[in-house]
Amino acid sequence: MKASEVLKPLGVFAVVIAVILAGTALVGVLGGSGSAGPADGEEIEGQSPGQFEPENVLATSAPEEGELSVDEGGESKRILVDSGHSNRYSPADMDPLVEALAQAGHEVDFTPSTSDEGGFGESSYNATLRAYDAVLIVQPTASFSDAEIAGLKAYADGGGRIAVLAEPPQLSVSGGLSAQVTQVRFGAQDLAGEFGLRMGTEGLYNIEDGGNDNNYESIVARPDGSGPLTEGVSNVTFDSAGYVVRTGDGPQVRMRALSGTRTLERRQASQYPVAAQNDNFVMVADTSFLKSSELYDLDNEQFVSNLLEFLVSGDKDDDVPQGGAASGGQ
Amino acid sequence: MLYVIVVVVAVLIGTVLAPVVWSATQSSSGDSGDPTVSVITLRAGTDAGPVNDVKEDLREARTNDSVEAVVLRIDSPGGAVASSEEFYLAVNRTAAQMPVVAYVEGTAASGGYFGIAPADRIFVKPSSTVGSIGVIVSAPLSTVERAEAQSKTYLRTGPDKATTEKDQLREQMETLHNAFVDTIVKHRGENLSMSRSEVAHGEAYIGPTALRNGFADDMGDLNSAIDEAATLADGIEGDQYSVEYNDPVSPSGGTIVLSGDPAKVDGNIVYVDNSEEDTQFQQPYEFYAVWGVPVTEDAQEVNDESE
Repeated sequence: MKASEVLKPLGVFAVVIAVILAGTALVGVLGGSGSAGPADGEEIEGQSPGQFEPENVLATSAPEEGELSVDEGGESKRILVDSGHSNRYSPADMDPLVEALAQAGHEVDFTPSTSDEGGFGESSYNATLRAYDAVLIVQPTASFSDAEIAGLKAYADGGGRIAVLAEPPQLSVSGGLSAQVTQVRFGAQDLAGEFGLRMGTEGLYNIEDGGNDNNYESIVARPDGSGPLTEGVSNVTFDSAGYVVRTGDGPQVRMRALSGTRTLERRQASQYPVAAQNDNFVMVADTSFLKSSELYDLDNEQFVSNLLEFLVSGDKDDDVPQGGAASGGQ
Repeated sequence: MLYVIVVVVAVLIGTVLAPVVWSATQSSSGDSGDPTVSVITLRAGTDAGPVNDVKEDLREARTNDSVEAVVLRIDSPGGAVASSEEFYLAVNRTAAQMPVVAYVEGTAASGGYFGIAPADRIFVKPSSTVGSIGVIVSAPLSTVERAEAQSKTYLRTGPDKATTEKDQLREQMETLHNAFVDTIVKHRGENLSMSRSEVAHGEAYIGPTALRNGFADDMGDLNSAIDEAATLADGIEGDQYSVEYNDPVSPSGGTIVLSGDPAKVDGNIVYVDNSEEDTQFQQPYEFYAVWGVPVTEDAQEVNDESE
């Protein structure tokens, strides 16, 4: 056998195998991996979903503008701030109010927290009241005695102004090594009841868009009707509002929560009354609007100004309330 | 005649070798052949570590050509908002590329639900818990309430440096809440039988309730989810697919221990007591998207204060 007789078929054999394998490899590379790209080379592109865009998500706080102001030029009045009933407020929160009143020429006193200090004690409660034109009572957690209630009723009937700021029942956590959680309740239901009002049993919340100031518990309230107490006010925000309940015919609702406001426990929706007035007695179902972070939110400062105006615009006779001893009010 | 034999033999040998060459070219591009449903498991809070592991698994699924669909098996009560958002973005990107079906093994609440919201379908069992849409924050007293006193102990370049205001804290919390709620509404809106504000209440739902209100789509187990994923995948015909199980991501624990005991609750801000003596700088606060309550050392007893 010649060499060419072996080589030629061998050459054809090799060429055919090479063509088949090369073809397979080519098809494999082009067809099989063409869509895969580089092994781990995922195309990088920005991922910024529409719902994350600033214009969609950004929450803004209520603007803090305006000033507290009380009309000057009126008669100089004396205002008593109650602190004898385990009242829960920070003295620092009262400073802007005291300042605005002082600027308008009025005088503010705080009752001492112990009852046996001169002049302000329970035994001479009516005598103390006689010296003042208005009383501001912020979140009392201790109750008023029957004699005190009688004294304050006579006081309001005789032209003295009373403003009660209350909080709904809530938990309070106190600091320290043995932190204690305490339920705090409004203590002056009997006093409010004397004026046909009562603090509601629950706090309020509003989770609707525009119904709160950046938290479901910071509800927004609007005036109900028009009057001196809500003059120039279109929206206020209350951080820990409750609601007032009318138990008599006398009181008028001055401010209501927006529709969509619900109670925290029962989830009952209503336009709850949050401020009411019975002649010389005003009750507001929140105290948080006195805090420095809330005082100037929305129209809060205008509402507080009106409240101060209410306190200093009474007309009380000097001999009201009469009597002096604890039992003297009746 | 000889050439005919030679060519026939060559073709036969070539045909035998061709699959070897073929698979060689295929394996070089990271493709193992059969279309695959990749099962990715998260049994942990949506905190940075676990979320990053899941993100790697998801990226692997996206870049592997044989993976045609993903099943996300999840048991997570959520975690930090920052990493919960990461989780969401990674799943969202994957869902844009291939079917993603979620199976809620135990819980997919808060940050856990944030992550599965873009899934094409969500499978639950009666005992699965979903929902709890919302954000919580706990700030040490020193960063908000005592910020002014604290700031007297060091020099600062500006009045807002190293301080936090309550309004600002709430603004930020509400902004993150908006992003969270709107994400849920965007991806689940058509299924949900509830309004945006009802979603924003932050309630957690178990399986049957979730099916009714649209937080979930089907009742089933992992195999139902795999089956659904295969059905949805374009590249899978009938039951011609394999299932690849990634290693479950499951780190230490699911509880979140906040930095101290609650010292004071003021309205809606919980202040914690941070009584460490030596000065050290710490992040003032962190936002959490979790289902659960902060774990502190002692359970508090509520005292009824009465006269």
